[in-house]
Amino acid sequence: MECSQFKANLIDFRQGTLEEELHRSANLHLSSCPSCSRLMKGLDEVDELIEREKALDPGPFVATRILQRIDREFETPVAIKTPGWIRVLQPVAVALALICGILIGSNASKSDGVPADNLAKTTDNIEFLRSNLYISDFMDEDKVLDLNK
Amino acid sequence: MTEPELIKGILQRDHRAFECLVNRYQKQVIKTASYFLGNMEDAEDLSQEIFIDIIYSINSFKQNSSLSTWIYRITVNKSLNMVKKQQRRGIMVRLESLFSHSAEHHTRHDPEPSISPDGVAEQEKRQLLHAAINRLPENQRIAFVLHKFDDQSYKQIAEIMKTGLPAVESLIHRAKLNLQQKLMYQFSEYKKT
Repeated sequence: MECSQFKANLIDFRQGTLEEELHRSANLHLSSCPSCSRLMKGLDEVDELIEREKALDPGPFVATRILQRIDREFETPVAIKTPGWIRVLQPVAVALALICGILIGSNASKSDGVPADNLAKTTDNIEFLRSNLYISDFMDEDKVLDLNK
Repeated sequence: MTEPELIKGILQRDHRAFECLVNRYQKQVIKTASYFLGNMEDAEDLSQEIFIDIIYSINSFKQNSSLSTWIYRITVNKSLNMVKKQQRRGIMVRLESLFSHSAEHHTRHDPEPSISPDGVAEQEKRQLLHAAINRLPENQRIAFVLHKFDDQSYKQIAEIMKTGLPAVESLIHRAKLNLQQKLMYQFSEYKKT
């Protein structure tokens, strides 16, 4: 058998599917041809390499990482189911609360300043204390004057 | 969980179904992807995208074949796309290194100190093998990898590739011949006489 014929039948030879006669002559050629035996050795090495690669297994925590990735992808926020009428009433209630707040606020601001009646009453009280209890330094005159302003 | 229950669960986005899917098919997906990509780490990363894809496209699964066959198809397609991306990236890196006059910096990879010389040789051989496989025409590559690495029968490969048995036989035979040609000079210092 020639090298070219050996190479042409190499796949079948390696698979063991070559006819008996051809297989025998291929074996004979292999034992006498260094280059074809090197080729055979190289292909055997490829097969061994593939077998070693097939034996490799994924890491132990891969499943956890895949599941975490899936959880992140399909994570949906928990929707709180509210009846329709609540969804309508909520903005109305907020608007009412706002109006009430504004009204209370404006009323409060009206009564916030010191009215003139109150000032007059305060001055009268001071005068009463001065005259009846003889307390001259009960209140600083300047402050009273400021209040009167 | 039976296959129809699993499919129903995935459609309903049930977490238990996701768990079952991952536990049942993770090894198949990762190992097949690693045979195309040539390394386990990339395959593990890609497997996440593959499972997301499976869940999103489960409603397109017509149940004409087994779920496993359908998952094989998705895995093969995603892996081939990833190989193409990596090849494009490789071309870009080589171009960049050409223009930046730092080719040595980009292409020289010092072996990791923890790996023995035998380990480095093994890695180099594996890279050579996968480079040769990746130069095969796509159909030959799929048929060869599924047959030789994944131990799939010709019938299963025909189902995965949606083709006939004779076509698969022919693809695998041509792939072996091509690989033989590509690898004969790289392994065992074989020189053509």
